[in-house]
Order: sequence, then structure tokens, then C-alpha cells
Amino acid sequence: MFSAMVKKEFLLVLRDKRALAVLFLMPALFILIISVAMRDVFTQNSVIFEITIVDLEKSKVTKEMINDISKNRSFQVADNANIVITIPQKYSQSKKRLKIEIKDSLKSDEIELFKAKLLKDITNLKLKIIKNRLTEFSDEAGAAIDNISLESDELFELKYNQSEEIPNSTQQSVPSWIVFGMFFMITPISTVFINERKQNTLSRLNSMNVSVFSMVLSKIVPYLFIAQIQAFVMIAVGMFIVPLFDTPALAINGSVLALVFLSFALSLSAVGLASLIAVSSNSTEQASTIGGIMSILLGAIGGVMVPKFIMPDFMQTLANISPMSWGLDGFLDIFLRGGGIAMVLNEALMLMLFGSIALGISMVMLHARIKKGFE
Amino acid sequence: MIKISSVVKKYDDLKVLDELSFEIKKGSIFGLLGVNGAGKSTILSVLNGLTSIESGEIEVFGLDLKKELTQIKNISSIVPQNLAFYEQLTVKENLDFFKNVQNGTKESYEKALHVNSLEEILNQKASTLSGGQKRRLNIAIGLLNDPQIIYFDEPTVGIDPKSRNEILESIKGYKKLGITVVYTSHYMNEVEMICDEVAIISHGKLIAQETNLQNLEKHFLELTKESHV
Repeated sequence: MFSAMVKKEFLLVLRDKRALAVLFLMPALFILIISVAMRDVFTQNSVIFEITIVDLEKSKVTKEMINDISKNRSFQVADNANIVITIPQKYSQSKKRLKIEIKDSLKSDEIELFKAKLLKDITNLKLKIIKNRLTEFSDEAGAAIDNISLESDELFELKYNQSEEIPNSTQQSVPSWIVFGMFFMITPISTVFINERKQNTLSRLNSMNVSVFSMVLSKIVPYLFIAQIQAFVMIAVGMFIVPLFDTPALAINGSVLALVFLSFALSLSAVGLASLIAVSSNSTEQASTIGGIMSILLGAIGGVMVPKFIMPDFMQTLANISPMSWGLDGFLDIFLRGGGIAMVLNEALMLMLFGSIALGISMVMLHARIKKGFE
Repeated sequence: MIKISSVVKKYDDLKVLDELSFEIKKGSIFGLLGVNGAGKSTILSVLNGLTSIESGEIEVFGLDLKKELTQIKNISSIVPQNLAFYEQLTVKENLDFFKNVQNGTKESYEKALHVNSLEEILNQKASTLSGGQKRRLNIAIGLLNDPQIIYFDEPTVGIDPKSRNEILESIKGYKKLGITVVYTSHYMNEVEMICDEVAIISHGKLIAQETNLQNLEKHFLELTKESHV
């Protein structure tokens, strides 16, 4: 009996082309658009200052400095740029300062960043000037300057918490829209449940000794299956389509098994919530409205719309109430931190618990509504 | 025999079945006649366990409805007034599904197909069928578990006279197969055409029960006059 019910649900799902298009196209497009649009925001070395350098000294030393600046990834040398750096005459032989003119406005933190990036190249220049002076007196003293390095790795050892690692735009958007896309199943699942009532087949099945447990379970099986395909299609978009738009490709640093496990847990929570909304709604319009609002709210709270790491602390704490946040954290553990099953176990168990409770309540509610004769 | 004794069913404060009692003989075609809202569909829902009752006793072929509902559902079938199948599936897919859900046999499948003349439209999507064809599919589904009792809830509503007559003729054929048929309608001529015995109900109460259908006509005429007033 159960296999017949699952087969029927698969047929109904596969014939609903519009629902399938929404489930696959919507998150795929979001991944593509958001990854590309947010590429520079998420890339920490992404700030590039376009500069014009006017060298009035034209010495070997200043040419070397210009060469160093050109190699610095934070700067792009161009004509008529917004920032003009003028090296005055006899700069290397005097206490004259560089003149920097910024034509358009820059934010104060951008100016501080610009100064920090430029300081290294100017310090290098100053060291070269000192070296040249010292070499006039002693080659040995001049050579000592070569031992001074301004590379940060050689100046200090930085230790930081790996879990605080910030994702790039693809690493953030792929899991975000996988999670959101799965919860978007609320609409088609609700439609299937409510159509069963509208078409009077729910009552007919009830007259045929079909249990509520079988009815609900058979409805969610195809969607659990579709959710897995959906997740892996979105991952493929992140890996193969997004890089075509000059945006970092998604790399799965962690375990694929953990990915499957988490994806299943997430889909269980999504279909659980969808079933709950479906059985408590009286029409597809009502279910779509409630489902849509709930998806957007859970997504906004859970870090889908705005990444959690840029939220204030209290919002990050609040995010933990959203199952979308649990799923997102789990995916980031796998994509970003090379996580395996152990690392995502907590999130996956919470998702499965949430989904199971929601499904349980759905079954009880459906049973009660059938008994009450809601048709 | 189906025995209905002092059944009361309420929706909130409204009594839709009011101390209703009657009996249906095994192997007969039994008509339930009444105007809209008389309680015909409700009593069928009760007999199929789709809705519960406040008080009263129901026995179906020796089985107590309260205690042995699963067994009763296995031997009975309801053809609801509203079409109840999947519009997005083909006729064959619908029949296959409902057969498998009820563990129906190949024989019952063939019989349902043949009696309702569905062979020609097996691969047609249900949503594309005509009104009469949809009604026939609705009835065929009710035959798939090889039932001993079939409840027809106004199966001819909204269809053309030709299809209506075909359906009524096929229902007469079920009696020959030994199936007990309970048929609800608000058309006197329909029940006269196919039923062995008819009960008239109004406001959930039994008004009359007769095997001599001519005696019923005056009761029904009075009832319809009242409802028009």
C-alpha cells in the first residue's frame, strides 16, 4: 500500500512543472546573482585603490618605489585616477613629504586602509635611502638593512580561531540558498496536501483504511528525495557555473558524506514545517502566505539574507532559533572548515528533531481534522 | 443486514441525524431519499467511519461500527457525491493507485473497468474527461476492493440523461453480483427505477420506509412542497 502511495506522490510532483521550476531555478539564480554581486564585499583583499603617480624626482630609488607600488595588489596604477600621489623633486634626499590628493570623497576607514597599504611601500623606500647612505660609509652596515623585512609573516605570528573564518561570496551564498530553497518547498507541499482535501481524495483514502501516518509519510518521501537533488544541483552551480562569472568557485573542503547527512536532516526539517503549515491551513493561498512569510522570517533571522558574521552579537544569538541557521552553520562547517559528520552532528540532530516534532504534530492535527470532518 | 438504531449526529448545536433508525436488507438496492440537507450524505459518512456519532448503534453485516470499523471499511466502499480522484493522473494511474491502496485483485480491477466502460480512455488524463466519464471513473474506483456494500452518494448529479441512465443500469447490475447497494438521491424517479426499498429522511429523521414505492410518492411530494414553502 505504502509503495503505491509514494509512487502516486512522485507522479503528482513530477507533473507539477511549475513547482519544480521554482524549487530548482529560484535558488540557482539566487546563488548566481548573489555570489557575483557580493563577490567584492566578501573578499577581504578586495579593496583596490586606483592611483596615479607623478614622479618629479625621477631617480632610481623613486622608480623602484613606483615599481613596488605597482606590484602591490591593493593598488592599481592608472592615468587620471581618483587618488594622485606626487613624489616631489629631491624627495629621497630631503625631508619632503609625498603629496596625496584624493579627488572624490573616501570613507574614513577607507583612508586608514589606504594609508596602511601605502606605508609599507614608503617604509621600503626609506629603508633603501638609509641603505644607500650607509653604504657610502660601510658596505657591511648597508647590507644589514637588507635583513630588515616588512613582511607581516616575518614580523609577527598571528594566531586566530579557525571557526571565525569568513566565507567568500560563493561559500556564503550556496548554503544560504540551498537552505532557503529547501524551505521554499512549503508552498508545493502545502498545495499537495490541500489538493488532497479539495479533490475529496483524502476522505476517500480515509474510507479505505489508509492511515494518517501513511498519508503524511508518503507525501514527504518524494520531497525528501527532491531536496537532495536540489542541494547537489545548487552545489554544482556553485562549483561550475559561478566561476564562469569571474567569481570564486565553491570548494567542498569537508566530507561529502557529512554533506549528504546534513542535507537529509535539513530536508526533514523543511518538509516537517511544510506539513505542519499545510495541515493547519484551509487553502493553498493561506498556506502560501503563511509559508512565504515564515520562510523569509526564518531566512532573515537565520543568516540567509544577511550573513551572521556581520550581524550584531544579539542578532547572532537570536539567529540560533532558526532551523535555517542550523543548516547554514552545518554547510559552512563542511565548505569552509573541512568538517565531517562529527562537526555537523549537533546541527543535523537539531534539524532532525525539529522536523520529526513538526511531522508528529502534523499527523496529530490531520487526524483530528479528519475526525472533525473538516471537509 | 445493516442496522441503524437511534443514531444522533450533531455539528455544533445542529442535530443533523436525529434518533435515526432503519434497516437495510443484504443484497438489496436501498434508496435514501430526501431533499438537500436532509442528512443523506451524513449517514453515509457515518456508515463509512468518516465521521463519528454522538449516540446510537450501527451494525453492518454483524459487525459493530464502533469496534470493527477496519473490517467494515474492508467490505464496503463509498462513491462520493463529489468526484474523488486525481485530476493530474490518467484513468489507469488512478485505478492502479486505488487498487493497490486497497489490495484489490486483478479480477475486481477488470470488472470495474468493464462495468464502467473505461477501456477506451485508460490513458487519458482525468482532467480531460467529460462529466459522464469522470462520474464513471469515480464509480469504478468504488468497485476496486470487491465490496459487499457500495454506498452511492447522489452519483448522477450534474450529468447528461444518457450517462445518467447508463450509471443507473450499471447499479442495477451490482445487485446481480450480490452487492448491497445504498443509493442516495433527491430524485423520486431515480429511486423508483432502481431501488427495492426506499427510506425518506428529512431533518435527520426517518419519515417513511417502504418497499411499495408508489406509497412513497405522496410522502415525498409533501416533503418537497414543505421544503419549497
